[in-house]
Amino acid sequence: MALLPISSKFEGDFVLKLVPVDTENTMDEVAAAAAGHSVGIHVAEQHGKVVRARAEGASEPFPRDMPLSQTGLGPTDTVEFYFE
Amino acid sequence: MALLERGVWYDLARKTEWSPSYISVDELFPPELSGGDGIPDEAWSSYDEPYKVSYREYVDVQRQKDAGAYSVKAALERVDLYNKADPGWVNILKEHYAAVALVEYGASFQEARFARWSKAPGMRNMATFGMLDEIRHAQLQLYFPHEYVNKDRQFDWSHETMFTDNWVALGARHFFDDVLMTRDAVATSIFANFAFETGFTNLQFIGLSGDAAKAGDYTFSKLIQSIQSDEARHAQLGTPLLQMLIEHGQAKKAQYYIDVAFWRSYRLFTILSGIPMDYYVPLDVRESSFKEFMQEWIVTQFIKSVEDLGLKKPWYWDIFMRDLAEHHHGQHLGTYSWRPTLWWNPAAGVGPEERDWLEEKYPGWNDTFGRVWDVLIDNLANGRADKTVPGTLPMICNVSQLPIVGTPFKSLHDTTLVHEGRKYHFASEVDKWIFQRDPERYKHHKNLIDRFLGGDIQPADLGGVLEYMGIGVVSAGGDDAHGYAWVDRYRDAPVPAR
Repeated sequence: MALLPISSKFEGDFVLKLVPVDTENTMDEVAAAAAGHSVGIHVAEQHGKVVRARAEGASEPFPRDMPLSQTGLGPTDTVEFYFE
Repeated sequence: MALLERGVWYDLARKTEWSPSYISVDELFPPELSGGDGIPDEAWSSYDEPYKVSYREYVDVQRQKDAGAYSVKAALERVDLYNKADPGWVNILKEHYAAVALVEYGASFQEARFARWSKAPGMRNMATFGMLDEIRHAQLQLYFPHEYVNKDRQFDWSHETMFTDNWVALGARHFFDDVLMTRDAVATSIFANFAFETGFTNLQFIGLSGDAAKAGDYTFSKLIQSIQSDEARHAQLGTPLLQMLIEHGQAKKAQYYIDVAFWRSYRLFTILSGIPMDYYVPLDVRESSFKEFMQEWIVTQFIKSVEDLGLKKPWYWDIFMRDLAEHHHGQHLGTYSWRPTLWWNPAAGVGPEERDWLEEKYPGWNDTFGRVWDVLIDNLANGRADKTVPGTLPMICNVSQLPIVGTPFKSLHDTTLVHEGRKYHFASEVDKWIFQRDPERYKHHKNLIDRFLGGDIQPADLGGVLEYMGIGVVSAGGDDAHGYAWVDRYRDAPVPAR
């Protein structure tokens, strides 16, 4: 249970954003936190779609229910968020 | 008694030198201050400054320049520019004076260092005049905005900025400390006089001057042309040094200096000149786009001067040419979104006709940056202005101190390095390369995000960040320059769905 700031690279956004989340958060919760700073602010909503998270450059997303603490991500690591 | 013509005595005066006998040359000119490693002592007398002036001439010419600039200002004070000009223009002045005035003063220190530490007598002589130039520039650019301070407290940043930790000031100080203040005399002159002054200051001081006149601000137009005429003289200090380095087998060092200075200057000028030229200057008075100014002043003229010396375009030239069409658009979106952090009110510059102009100058703009603006416009047009200011901070480059931006859907990405156990983030491969070439120089600095995450900013929330940056302390932060009046253009016509 610890604060972990990640860097959000949200699909359709123009800037990397600092998103503070918790190591106990699931990746779905992390995605929601990132979406909260991009969707409806700089990125258009896409209804009916889920926001997925993957390490920058990775081909596969993290499992939605995986806790952040198990992803191997460190402070300020950049995570790509995209609609699926 | 008739005065001697300069040509009769100048060369004798400028070559008056002596060899120290009580102390060594290195004690008189410590290498870390004087530079010129690998250049034999005898070579320094060959330094030939392209521009020569006597003190008598200097005083006479400068007095005339000052008479011109100050009299235009006095005559035009009754025009009430502050209330009559487009707010987009007035806010360019706030940004400019605040970012520039005390930097000029810092530059007088830089020139003064040359006056003492340069091993070339001609350079010491010219640098003394350069120092006087920069003092002049500092004084002018403090005095000229002063008439606006009692109308608009944001003009107080003209003096205050460099004493604050505003994110723009952090970026400016990092750049100017690196380029002007902390290198030996030879390196500094190449970084500051050759690359920064000869190359880039023309963008702001000549490019913007044309827009100023068209916007009706003849005071500013006259002022910055007058300033740039001094610059055209002392900026030439760097060129003979490059020639000396090349002649003594140090072309690689010369190229490295230019490559670092060029990129750092370019990225700084995307904020200072790029955004204003393409977004703040009212559409009907824009002379050219930022990209067009860069093509003329940098790609054509400056690079020609580099190649004429036998040096090359920087290694990252392809990256630069692509970046030229995108980087400042992202920085404008960023500065506008985070406008409460600014000391000026940015014009959005994205009305329908503006967007047509942007599309014409930057094909593809509407399909990328435009889509982000569509979201902002939709929020503004539907009573959700609170959603147009992000609730978090951007990631920031550990070299440029600028937000890490890219073209939406295309080029946004992180560039990182772990050095001695610490993770650094960069806005480009070039910023990373700059760090890697000299990590000792850059590794200690903490950018705004490092300070925030490290607990240096208290309270550790957005309010604490604003106060840390001087917002609400020196003046209120920024808001839309036109009070969002431009949004009315979109209220009747819904933003097209995509």
